[in-house]
Amino acid sequence: MARTIVVGYDGSVGASHALDRAVELAKLEGARIVVVFAYEIPAAYGGETGDYRRAVRELAEEATAAAVPRLQEADVEYDIELVPERPVQGLVDVAERTGASMIVVGTNGEHPIRGVVLGSVPHKLLHVSRVPVLVVPDPTE
Amino acid sequence: MDVAAPADHSEPLEKGLKAGALGFMSSVVIGVASTAPAYSLAATLGAVTAVAGIGFQAPIIMVLAFVPMLFVALGFKYLNQADPDCGTTFTWCARAFGPITGWLGGWGLIFADVLVMASLSQIAGSYTFLLFGWTSLANSTLWVGVAGVIWIVLMGLICYVGIEASARTQWGLLGAELVILVLFSLVALVKVWSGHAPGGVSPSWNWLNPFDIGSFGAMSSGLLLAIFIYWGWDTSVSVNEETEDATETPGRAAVASTFLLLAIYVIVSIAAQAFHGIGYLNDNSDDVLGALGKDVLGSPWDKLLIIAVLTSASASTQTTILPTTRATLSMASHGALPKMFARIQPRHLTPSVSTIWMCAVSIVVFVVLNTVSSNILADSVTATGFGIAFYYGLTGLACPWFFRHELLKSARNFFLVGLLPLLGGIILFAILGDSGYEAWSPASSETGSAWLGISPPLAMALLGLLIGIVVLIAQRIVAPEPFFRWKTEVADPGVLEAANG
Repeated sequence: MARTIVVGYDGSVGASHALDRAVELAKLEGARIVVVFAYEIPAAYGGETGDYRRAVRELAEEATAAAVPRLQEADVEYDIELVPERPVQGLVDVAERTGASMIVVGTNGEHPIRGVVLGSVPHKLLHVSRVPVLVVPDPTE
Repeated sequence: MDVAAPADHSEPLEKGLKAGALGFMSSVVIGVASTAPAYSLAATLGAVTAVAGIGFQAPIIMVLAFVPMLFVALGFKYLNQADPDCGTTFTWCARAFGPITGWLGGWGLIFADVLVMASLSQIAGSYTFLLFGWTSLANSTLWVGVAGVIWIVLMGLICYVGIEASARTQWGLLGAELVILVLFSLVALVKVWSGHAPGGVSPSWNWLNPFDIGSFGAMSSGLLLAIFIYWGWDTSVSVNEETEDATETPGRAAVASTFLLLAIYVIVSIAAQAFHGIGYLNDNSDDVLGALGKDVLGSPWDKLLIIAVLTSASASTQTTILPTTRATLSMASHGALPKMFARIQPRHLTPSVSTIWMCAVSIVVFVVLNTVSSNILADSVTATGFGIAFYYGLTGLACPWFFRHELLKSARNFFLVGLLPLLGGIILFAILGDSGYEAWSPASSETGSAWLGISPPLAMALLGLLIGIVVLIAQRIVAPEPFFRWKTEVADPGVLEAANG
């Protein structure tokens, strides 16, 4: 079975750098790419969230659709997964389920303090993941 | 090459929260936290005792107000089972009664939520100053205004980036809030009975006698204020569908949070009015708990009460912003409001345009009210009550109508889905009509001032309705399809059977 690389992708600039790097690696290794959009809507106070979820889902579909031309052009095998879980948990789960050899994420050009306040996905991922994590910085920063 | 169709590992999309996400205590916590008891009491208690003809009957008003809210909550529960749409009242009423009624129901929700932001900001502003002992700032319209605006911006930001406290944190905050309220009540009552409360009045069973309320008009004015304190309770009813054990937990959690709330409201209102009598509450209606806290608990323990009000107000601000932005998101996605309100911020996955608008409009309303109204708190709470009575009432009526072909299938359906929500709706519209009639006279308001010859709260409600009708007509002209062509529907017979089975 081909090796698998999981990429966290939300359509942002940082994510597309991560995708580029993942594609390069996948071509070298003959690996398959799994593009993951993990999302969780704020729901602690509950209430009805039916069409809010639908709207986020559509956004996820649109965002990941933007990755398709890049993947097709590179001619790598790929899957797209939309996971309704917190980003870190979603990435780790998909990586474990697919037996991935690596998780690739971008940094979103995040200011360190902002990362502390809002929680930084790459940072948390490093602590939680049992699969190697590659964090791709934004080369324009 | 694989197909690009996204693999779906999600739970069914129509579900609210993740199944199994909530245990019994968490359900109770969310139900009570959404209702924000400390803040609700701080905002309404002074205004309720000030209504002529109520006075010491405030505790029984607190109990009576629960009845229609409970009945309508049943309506929320069953409608949510049929359609767990975040438009709630808007979507349900549009399906049951047609697009115009649904739209107006949604507008009622937005109106109530925007107006309550004014009283929330006022309370948050003045209690923040009280926390630091800056009493003169807490009494300054200007500085309370500044602090209130900062409060809205801060809470809006939190909602915009989608931060939320973990269940454990909320647990802690709410637990502290309840303990402090009970402590406050006990100390106050002990001081009254032991003669350490100047002007204190020993509690009497008569305070719970509904027939001692001066008049029907007084009762409906009081109820209009008091339904406010149970507002948000319905959240727990719908969230409860998503609990660990879907057959047992929801009912028990709803019952538990209900009794907890009722007990808290009755005990605190009895203790508060017993301590210095009702004249003191009326004189300090802007910061009832802050003022009483100093005498009851003494420094520095009174700060605990202020912190409880502030944490409660922050929970309440979030449970105000979130449902409003979801309602406008829903309305926009169905074509009932401009499309931009459905926009989701890709980074934080929150309804961005809706959140910004909600906060901006709230700031404008708050600043205007804070400038022109001489008693912003009582006026805005009463006006919010008009909005709540309207959209809750409409929801209560929508439930039996939407399920009308199911009502005769079982006694349970007849009472729980039909009769009780209907009664709840009728009671709320009766309160709305009667207190609206009372409010024609400017003398009925807290300050006795008049706007355009009627009392300020009614003027706000009518102005809100007028703006709503203008927006409704504009949207109908701009986008007649598809929303304004919606046909009314009835419930799918399977919905209740699945729920009861």
